[in-house]
Amino acid sequence: MSALPIRILLVDDERDFVEMLSLRLAERGEHVMTAFSGRECLEILSREAVDVVILDIRMPGMDGIETLRRIKQAHPRVEVILLTGHGTTQTAMEGVRLGALDYFLKPADFEDLTARLERLRRTADA
Amino acid sequence: MADRLNSLRLLLVDDEAAFRAVLVKRMRRQGIDPFQAADGAGGLRILSRQPVDVVVLDVRMPGMDGIDTLREIKRRHPHTEVILLTGHANTREGLEGIQAGAFDYLSKPVDIDHLWEKIKQAFEKKAVLEALRQDSQYRLHMAQQMAASERLAALGTLAAGVAHEINNPLAIINEAAGYLGTLLQKPELEDVPYREGMVNAVGKIATGVARARTITHQLLGGVRPDSPGLARVRPDELVDETLALVRAEAEDKGIAVARQSPPMAAVWIEADRLRQVLINLLVNAIHATQRGGRIVVGIEAGDGRLRFSVADSGKGIPGENLERIFEPFFSDQPPGEGTGLGLFVTRQIVDRMGGTITVRSQVGRGTTMTVAVPHRCGDPGAARGPGAPVCGQEARP
Ligand SMILES: Nc1ncnc2c1ncn2[C@@H]1O[C@H](COP(=O)(O)OP(=O)(O)O)[C@@H](O)[C@H]1O
Ligand SMILES: [Mg+2]
Repeated sequence: MSALPIRILLVDDERDFVEMLSLRLAERGEHVMTAFSGRECLEILSREAVDVVILDIRMPGMDGIETLRRIKQAHPRVEVILLTGHGTTQTAMEGVRLGALDYFLKPADFEDLTARLERLRRTADA
Repeated sequence: MADRLNSLRLLLVDDEAAFRAVLVKRMRRQGIDPFQAADGAGGLRILSRQPVDVVVLDVRMPGMDGIDTLREIKRRHPHTEVILLTGHANTREGLEGIQAGAFDYLSKPVDIDHLWEKIKQAFEKKAVLEALRQDSQYRLHMAQQMAASERLAALGTLAAGVAHEINNPLAIINEAAGYLGTLLQKPELEDVPYREGMVNAVGKIATGVARARTITHQLLGGVRPDSPGLARVRPDELVDETLALVRAEAEDKGIAVARQSPPMAAVWIEADRLRQVLINLLVNAIHATQRGGRIVVGIEAGDGRLRFSVADSGKGIPGENLERIFEPFFSDQPPGEGTGLGLFVTRQIVDRMGGTITVRSQVGRGTTMTVAVPHRCGDPGAARGPGAPVCGQEARP
C-alpha cells in the first residue's frame, strides 16, 4: 500500500474481537493500537497521535457515548467510528450528533469498514 | 325505525283462520308479510326453515299445547321473541308463558293496535339484545387480539435482547475467519498442504456468519426506530420509490409490479418505517409469485388513515397458516433463504405506528396484505383554492 497508514485506536471490552480485528487491519497495512475501556482509550489519546478511534458503545465503566463526548472535547480532530452489537438508531443518531463519523452494527462487513477508512484517508490527504 | 320494521320477520300461529286473516291484512299494510301456521308443529317447522324475529302464538290450539310450543321455540331459537295470546282473562296462562320465556301475553279477544305495539316492542328488544351480543363478541375478539399482539411484543423485546448478545460473539467469529482468509492469501502459504480445503472452510464460516447476521440485524430492525420519523411525502411517490427498489428482482423473475392509485397529495407520515414495511411485503409477494404473475400496490385514504395494499397473484397462504405467518421464525423457505422474521418485524413496526395489518389470501390465487396507518394532513396553511388537493385524497391536475 503506497498510501500512508491510518493510525487507528480500536476500543472494545471484547478482547477477542479487538485482537482479531486489529490483526486484520494491521494486515492491510494500517497502524493499529488497542484499548479495552473508555478510560484506557482517553489515556492513549493523551500521549499518542491517532487519526481515528473505532469505538464500541456498550462497555462497562465509561460507555462509548461518554467516551465519544470526551474525545471530541479533548481531541476535536480525532475522528470516531461507532461499532457496536447494541444498535439502536437513537444511540446512533446521538453518536452522530456528538460528532461521530459513522456507525456500524456488529458483525460489520469488513469491506464496508475499510471503505469508510479509505474515504477518511482521502480526505486526510487532501 | 320505520324501514327497520320492514325487515321484521313475523310468524302467526293460531288455529283460527279468520283471526289470522285479519291480522295478516293489517300487517301487510305495514309492509310485513307474516308466515302462518295453524298449530304448534307447523310453527316449529317454519322456524326450522328460516329465522323469525317475533312469533305471535295462540295458547289454545288443537294438538301441541301453546305453552309446550313456546318452550320448544325458546329452546331451539332462544333469540326469537314470542307473544302469547291467552284465553279471556286467563292470567295463569299468561304468567306461565312469561316464566317459559315469552316476551309478553295478551288475552283474547285482541285489540289489533295493541298487538301491533307489542310486536314492535318485541322486535325492538330483540334488536337491542342482538347489538349487545355483537358488542360483547367484538370486545372479546379485541381482547384476544390485544393479548396476541402483547405476547408478540414481549417476544420481540426478548428476541432483540438475544440478538444484541449474539452480535458480539458473531463479530469475533467474523473477524477471526476474515483474518484466516487474509493469511491464506499470503504468498508464504501458497504451497501449504490442504490450503484449498482451508480456504473453502473459511468461506463456509463467512457464509454462516452472514446468515446469522441477517437474523440478528432483522430482529433489531423491529425495535430499532425509537423515534417516529414523520415526514411530509406523497404516498404515491413513496410507493413508486419503494417499487423501484424491488423492480429489478421482480422482473428477473418475470413478475410485473405496478402501483394502482390516483396521484395523491402529500401527507405527514412515518415514511421510513412505511418504506421498510412495504419492502418486506413486496419481497414476500415476489417470493410467492410465479413467472408471469403480477403484484399491485394500491393506496386508499379515508377516516384519517392511509391503506396500502400489496396484492400478488401468487400461491396464497393456507388458512391454518394465516395467524402463524406473523410468528417469529415461521417460514416456508429453505434454511438460509428465509428467516421467518419479515412479517414478525413488520407487524411490530406497524403496531408502533399505531396501524394495523391484515391479510386476505386464497390458495392458488394470491394474497393481499393491507397496512392501514394514521396520517396527518399536509400543511394547514396550504392553498385551499379550486384544484388544491384535499388531505389524503388525490391531487387534481
Ligand atoms: N404474499 C405471500 N404469499 C404467500 N405466502 C406468504 C406471503 N407473505 C408471507 N407468506 C408466508 O409467510 C411466511 C413468513 O413470512 P416472513 O415472516 O416474511 O418470513 P420469510 O419471508 O423469511 O419466510 C413465508 O415463509 C410464507 O410462507
Ligand atoms: Mg419475508
